[in-house]
Parts: sequence; structure tokens; C-alpha cells
Amino acid sequence: MNKTVSALSLFAILLFAAGCSKHDPVIRIGVSAPFTGDQASVGLTILRGTQLAVDQANAQGDVLPGYKIELVQIDDSHSPTQAVAAAKKFVSDPEVIGVVGHLNSSCTKPAAQIYHNARVAQITPASTNPEISKQGFDTFFRVCATDDLQGPKAAQFAFNELGARKVFIIDDKTTYGKGLSDEFAKAFIAQGGQVLGHQGITQGDKDFTPLLTKIRPMSPDLIFFGGLYPECSLIIKQARDLNIKAPVMGGDGIYDVTLIRLATPSASEGTYATMIGADVKALPQAQEFVKAYETKFGDVGSYSAYSYDAANILIQAIKLAGAPDREKVIQILKDGRTFPGILGQTEFDDRGDTKNKIVSVFRVRNGQWEHVRTV
Amino acid sequence: MELFVQQLINGLTIGTIYALIALGYTMVYGIIQLINFAHGEVFMVGAYIGLTAITFFGFVSGSTLPMAMLYLAVMLLISMAGSGLLGIVIDQIAYRPIRNSPRLVALISAIGVSFVLQNAVMLIYGPQDQGVPQIVPDIHFIFGDVTITLMQIMILAVSLVLMVFLNFLVQHTQLGRAMRATSQDHKMARLVGINVNWIISLTFFIGSAMAAVGGVLFGLYYHTVNFHDGYLAGLKAFTAAVLGGIGNIPGAMVGGVLIGLAEGLGAGYISSEWKNVFAFVILVLILLFKPTGLFGERVADRA
Repeated sequence: MNKTVSALSLFAILLFAAGCSKHDPVIRIGVSAPFTGDQASVGLTILRGTQLAVDQANAQGDVLPGYKIELVQIDDSHSPTQAVAAAKKFVSDPEVIGVVGHLNSSCTKPAAQIYHNARVAQITPASTNPEISKQGFDTFFRVCATDDLQGPKAAQFAFNELGARKVFIIDDKTTYGKGLSDEFAKAFIAQGGQVLGHQGITQGDKDFTPLLTKIRPMSPDLIFFGGLYPECSLIIKQARDLNIKAPVMGGDGIYDVTLIRLATPSASEGTYATMIGADVKALPQAQEFVKAYETKFGDVGSYSAYSYDAANILIQAIKLAGAPDREKVIQILKDGRTFPGILGQTEFDDRGDTKNKIVSVFRVRNGQWEHVRTV
Repeated sequence: MELFVQQLINGLTIGTIYALIALGYTMVYGIIQLINFAHGEVFMVGAYIGLTAITFFGFVSGSTLPMAMLYLAVMLLISMAGSGLLGIVIDQIAYRPIRNSPRLVALISAIGVSFVLQNAVMLIYGPQDQGVPQIVPDIHFIFGDVTITLMQIMILAVSLVLMVFLNFLVQHTQLGRAMRATSQDHKMARLVGINVNWIISLTFFIGSAMAAVGGVLFGLYYHTVNFHDGYLAGLKAFTAAVLGGIGNIPGAMVGGVLIGLAEGLGAGYISSEWKNVFAFVILVLILLFKPTGLFGERVADRA
């Protein structure tokens, strides 16, 4: 009896599955970033920005006659292996026309190869390592500034505005962290500043007191960190516990509200971060987005505006292509036209990088990130 | 010199936390010759229970010292009780039914439990890092170039008291004698009237409660906990237990502190990039040259 029941239900499931495959025509957009783990709070801003763009596009009617857009999300847990696996999964689904991803440069770089081989357009909202666009993949696009701009801008700001002359540099040994801090170091030395030392730490580590203890007697004017906020918040807190007064500065990877919560507001006071675009909350054309995002998800966070623009650019390209055709979408993104968005007019250069490159500086003040100015 | 003292303090703080975790590894090994690889996860669960206690009672940051002591005591007791019970349940479900199977079977079972606990915590609390409120006041004591925080003093004090207590319990009480007898020979212990199963449960309870204390202190010290945290801390504590001589309780304490110091001094004086390597280099060296550990007399593979 039992066997018959299970055989019958298996049959029913198979029937159901067969029915499912004949669904309405859809166009899929993939999105991948770390949605779990210690970087989840930043990764989720990428997911939500993309989600908002897709929802709004669908609410306005069919993107192409008869087609709705569907978002496919895969968590890459900031692991390059997972990112490559995600990319393979996306490209094996013929309905996926383009991908928004990833967050970490170390993930974006190897995944770009997969997208290129399969001829799928990839737009990264957040990976800033300049090497990624030098791999010669015409499927790669980027809506944010790069570290060869961010690093020097940060160095100029530290030298001229903060009056720093001696810095100690720490990075997390990733493509992003190491790349950014190398650019920073180069520019800082060129300005006439002194780099007291440059050491790596490991992502996921929690105890940085041995390194900070070593740094303390060198009394740097500034500690520059190339990496992301989970480690940076601990570095800030442990530096203050060791009575190190030097401010900490970092790149876009540390620009997140979670940093202030984890490092405690009092310890993080006076921390600086450069960001790879304008202050979204102050852009007139972004106000509608900020409002829609805040009612749905809360604070706009780090990369929601970038992923929102990235997704919208993909959607515009699909509309212009007039068909769910991967190659046509790539050609449209490539041919030098401008795409209006909330970050401004995005136009890709021949490497796929946006020409709209802005770096702004933020500072923690009274427990909040505050826009200092655009540099 | 001041720098060296500072590095010693750094290493000692994390070392005592490793020592607390290492106790559970060594006690369980001593009594049933099982490397309880789920133990790192018990430590992590302990940290989460402590965090839940803070949220449940609405403990606030920046309280006064007596209030902070009270909060800490409540957190520790709840977390010790919760994790201790978890330890007993793990033994009942995952190890007792296969007590007489080859050791490898129990080892695999332990790894399975470890996965279950990690994922359970991820599902319950979410995948993000959880911030732990600072309930111990942010006080620094500065002696010249050496800084020590109140939190570090608390970690050292709590660990020291617990280790002295545990040593007393095992060496000088009736219960401790029963535990030592059980670890030597289950059959003989049963013949002289010791309830062996009960002693094993008790061992799991005490070992897990010690790990829970480590977890609570770890959370308060670093202000964040993550469901992954048990993995690396557990491995290092296991190294500490092997270094001290697995099965030897004072050995685990000394081993933990030594691993913490090696890490602190290695990262401070050699390179912070290799911080996690130092502990495991020690493990390899110990296994090669002195497999019984510093204080271990027990033969690792007895009948």
C-alpha cells in the first residue's frame, strides 16, 4: 500500500514538474553577491537595489511584448569558487540574459571569464579593482569608479585635508584590498608622505591586537585599511582599546552602517571612507529611488544605487535589443551610447568602465556616516 | 619591553579563551577517547546564548561596574546551563548509540553534529554577523605604554577562577575521583559502583559549560559573533589540547595559553599575515616530535 502511494505521489510530482516547464516566457537577470555571512549586510544592498529595479520595470508593463523580467539570485558568500559556480549556473540557463554582480573583486575577476566564454553581459555594481577590466573581456561592464582613481584620491585627501604625513597600511590580501592599498601607498609616497609599513591580515580573523600593538610605537598620523567593514570595525575598536588615537581610513568596502554598530559609535568617530560615486542621498535625480528604497528596505546602504543603475542599464539594453538575445544586449552596451540613471549618465569606455567616475569622502560623525565632499 | 608586555597581554587574553574551549576537548577525550569535533560549535552556541540573554533581559551598554558584573554573571550562568545541556543532548543522540563502534564512526558523527549546529544557528539567528552590546564598561588602565582593558581583566579573572574550580573538582572531590576512575577503566569503575553513563553526561556538561564561558567572553571581547566562529576557534583549541597532552586537564589550560601567546607574539613580531599558521605549525611539530603532548603520559591508543 505504502509503495503504491509513494509511487503515485512521485508520478504526480513528475507531472507537476513537466507542467512547470511550460511557463510564460520570461527574461531572467541574475544577481550574485554575498547574501549570507559577514558581508551579507552589504551584499543585500546589491540584491535589493536590483530587486527594486526589476519590480519597477515589471510594474510598468512588459519589458518586451509578452515578457516579464525575473530575478535569479545566487549567493557567492564572497568566495571566488562560489562566484565561479554561480556564474556557471547563470550561463547554463538560456533565459538569463545578463548578470548584476559581484561584490568582491576577487569574485568578479574569475567570474568574468565564465560570462565572457558564454557571451553573457555582466555589470558589476561594486568591484573596483582596475585589473578586472584589463582582462580584455567585452562582456564586462562596471558602473562604479576604480581603485586606480579611488586610491590616489584617498591619498590626496589624507595628505592635504587631514594633514597626514606618516601612515601605516593594512590590507586583507584580497584582489580588492591589496589593489586599493597599493594604489593608495603609491600615491601617498608620490605626494611626499611616508609609509611606515604595509601588512596583510586574513579575512574572517578577529584579533588584530598583535599587529596594532606593533604599530602603536610608530605613532602614525593615519591607519589606512584596504578591505571590508567586518575586519575594519574590529581594527578600529581594538586600536582604540590599545589607546591608538590615529584615525582609520578605508575605501568603499568599509562604507557601511554596520561598521559603526560593530566598532561602537564612540570608537568609530572620525573614521574616513572614500566612496566610488556621488553621495546618492544628495543627488536630485536619485530622490525618487531613495524614497522607494527606504519605504521598502530601510537605509539605502552602500551599493543599492549602483546595483539599481546596473539592473536598469541591463533592462534598457534588453528593450533596445528588442529580443531576449544575449549577444545583442552585449553589442548595445558596447556601442558607446549613454544610459540615464540615478548616478548620472553612464557611458562605458572600450574596457567597459563607466566614464562617470566620481569619488566622494565620508566621515563618521555622531554615530552616522556623513558626506564630507566629492574629491 | 613595554611592547613585549603588551603582546603578552594580547596573547594571554585570547589564550585563556582557547584554554576554556580546550578543556572540553580534553575532558571528553579523557573519558571516552573521542575527539568531539562538534565542540567548537558548542562554544559558538554558547556565545549566541549569551547574546540572547542580553537581548532577553534588555541589558544595556555602558552600565556601571557592579551592574556589569551582575549582567556578566547572568549571561554566564544561562549560557553554561544551556550549552551544558546541549553537550549532554549531543552525547545522547550522536555518540551514545555508537559507543561501541570503531572510533572513526563517532568522529564522523561528531562532524555531522558540527554541521547541524552551524546551520541551525544560521537559520535561527540569520547569516549576518550579530553585534554584541558592550555591557562591560569601556575602561582602560594605562601603565606607561601598556594598556589593559577592563574586559581583558574580566576574561583573565573569570577564566582563572573557573580553571582553579575545575581542578579542585577533579582532583579533590568524590565526583572528581569518580570521573578519574571512569577515564581509567569503564568496567572497573562500574564494578566499584560508579554510574558510568552519568559520569560521561556530567563530563559533557562541564566541558560544554566551559566552552560556553569562552563563547560569552569571546562575544563580549570582539563585539561580534558569527555562526562560523566555532570552526577556527575550535581547531585552535583542539591544537591547544593536543599541545598540552590530550586527556590532561592542566595540560589543556597551559596549551591554550601557549597557543594564544604563540599567535600573539608570532603575529606581532614575525608577520600578521601568517597569524593563523602559527597554531597549526605547532600542531604539526607536536605530532611529529612529541605526540603525547607536553604533559601527556597517556598512550594515545590504548585498548
